[in-house]
Amino acid sequence: MRRRSSLPVTFLVPTLAILLVLSMVPTLYAIVIALQNRELSTPSYSWVWFSNFADLFLDRRFLNAVWVSVKWEIVTVVATMVVAIGLGVLMFEVASPRLRNVYCLLFIIPVLLPRVSAAFVWKFAYHPLYGIATYPYRLVTGGLIFDPLSKASTALFAVASVDVWQWGLFFAVIVLKYLETLPPQPIEAARLDHAKRWQIHAYVTLPMLKAPLISLMFVKMIESLRSFDLIYVMTRGGPGVATETLDMYAFSQGFIESGKVSYASAMAVLMMIATVITFTMLWKRVQA
Amino acid sequence: MKSNRLAASLGAAFLLTASVSTAALAQAPVCSAPVKVLAQPRDGLTLLEDSKDEFKKLSGASFQIDYLNENDRRAKSRADASTVGNYNVYYVDEANVALFASSGWIAPLADYYPAEYDFADFDPGRQKVATYDGKVWFAPLTGGGDLMVYRKDVLEAAGIQPPKTLDELIADVAKLNDPDKGMYGIALRGARGSGANVWRWMPFFKAYGGKWFDGDKPAFNSDAAVKATETYLKLFKDSAPGTQTGSWDESTGAFLSGQVAILVESTPLSGMAVDPKTSQVVGKVGFLPPPSPLPGGGYGHGLAIGTKANQDDASKKCAGLFIAWATSKENEKRRLDAHQFGELNRTSILSSKEFADIYGADLGQALADTGKVTAVNFWQDPRWPDLGDRWGIILEELVTGTRTDIKGGLNELEAYADELVKKK
Repeated sequence: MRRRSSLPVTFLVPTLAILLVLSMVPTLYAIVIALQNRELSTPSYSWVWFSNFADLFLDRRFLNAVWVSVKWEIVTVVATMVVAIGLGVLMFEVASPRLRNVYCLLFIIPVLLPRVSAAFVWKFAYHPLYGIATYPYRLVTGGLIFDPLSKASTALFAVASVDVWQWGLFFAVIVLKYLETLPPQPIEAARLDHAKRWQIHAYVTLPMLKAPLISLMFVKMIESLRSFDLIYVMTRGGPGVATETLDMYAFSQGFIESGKVSYASAMAVLMMIATVITFTMLWKRVQA
Repeated sequence: MKSNRLAASLGAAFLLTASVSTAALAQAPVCSAPVKVLAQPRDGLTLLEDSKDEFKKLSGASFQIDYLNENDRRAKSRADASTVGNYNVYYVDEANVALFASSGWIAPLADYYPAEYDFADFDPGRQKVATYDGKVWFAPLTGGGDLMVYRKDVLEAAGIQPPKTLDELIADVAKLNDPDKGMYGIALRGARGSGANVWRWMPFFKAYGGKWFDGDKPAFNSDAAVKATETYLKLFKDSAPGTQTGSWDESTGAFLSGQVAILVESTPLSGMAVDPKTSQVVGKVGFLPPPSPLPGGGYGHGLAIGTKANQDDASKKCAGLFIAWATSKENEKRRLDAHQFGELNRTSILSSKEFADIYGADLGQALADTGKVTAVNFWQDPRWPDLGDRWGIILEELVTGTRTDIKGGLNELEAYADELVKKK
């Protein structure tokens, strides 16, 4: 008995210890740095405690970055889930099994592209004069110019569309596979009751998939928080600060503009706290 | 007698050993490991990679260049030099040499630059830009000032003489702007950055009499800055699409593909404009100094010795040898043969007959004339990138219309400058 009960501990302790070191050391270091006034250009520093955090709330770019991050999170998560469920159901309903496999293969390709490559490809596609994505607009308007990445009202959506292109299509494949694994009886029963196709999905299949779809949404929420590379390549946070998310602004303060690593760490710490609180609340709400 | 013989034998043995060691030392390779270089893409550096074997023969080791575009190279080199120091050689420029030198991230070049490579042969203006606090920190790979580059055919068709003053430039750009025919009056830089939009804005600021600091007191929040920004924004209305959030690549790309009538840009554009490999407007381009009173933006980029990756003197010597070889007369001659105009920095090359044969007398004259109005427009201080980048963000907001209050932007910059001054 004793040997049996010690086995989980034997396996878990080293793994958890490694995990703890790997996750806690950088986290604690970030917290420590956030309480100092370190800058890249000078080795000297002092403790300023919560001064960086206080400064952040007076910084218009930080407040703007919080708002942009919230917008980015909502737009990309909602659009990805809508595209994924819409395309997944559509493939399930209209495509033959062989055609579904072809679609699945095609829809997986965008997410296999490195983010930076995808960003470069789409940046060129959005070029106002040569871009393939802006070509229809030029064609319809007789050559008028549309530069989505240089307009504050469209830049965020233009970048978000690339994120959705990568993840929405990939998630559509997952949703299709979820639908294919559902037991056929409830769907057949609904058909016998003369339910329409949309009603079958709205009231039978999607509610049956509630738990895995919520898990997918959480995966996307976490993924959307790490959108730095896409935004950095496509707009660098511009035009102005219209697409400057928190991670973009933190990097900018830490390494591009002023080398204020402590100020950037303070942002990272606040971001971590906000993320943990938000996700815990959402998780509890979903489980309730 | 015996002891004399022994002493003589020992002496002979010592001399032999010493001479053999000296010979071995003379042939000892200068480099023991490949030289790691962090740079931004340059045709000259790409060409240099074809001669890797030559450097290996000279030094005993090869080299590896990692390329990042200008803004990324600045961010990465700053992060690397201040922390881990992975690179033996950094590509630095006029905007960050003060920061790198004052932070001790690079070593004075003259101490490790072999005399036979003749540093004094570099263009004096570029030597000046490479100097900070009385010491030379990098060997130039590129540099110069600004030229007004214009489409002779487009101006002739419109009956317009090339503008000689800023007022004429403003009026001509508006007249020449014809988007329906795919022709734009000018191409400017809108993307943020002390070396991007701020770089192109600064000549206007200086032309209207602006100055950055008066001692330790910020002096840029002035009528000159407001007027310079208003003029810049006015000209931007006729700037080619894509330049609002673009920089050098976008504005010169628009000109070289035949969509822009006039632009004032850094001198390497002139070489690109006459090269059929890069230009669709060969034979249609004229060159003049920037319209008066715009000063040219003096600049220089080059290679410097990193201190963190080169802890001892031997590795600094190796890095110094690489820089000297990379910027040598022989390699610059190869760049001239490859028609890499923007990569030429030595007076012996720029004044050569071969240079005049390739690029013609007009360009040579324009370069000589623009040299007279080339100036250092930025604040020569380690804190310049910080201040310049902050203004770059505000200027990008103004260019793209996400903010409209020029004075409010300058007030914000002044408050930031006050903080920077206090920190000194």
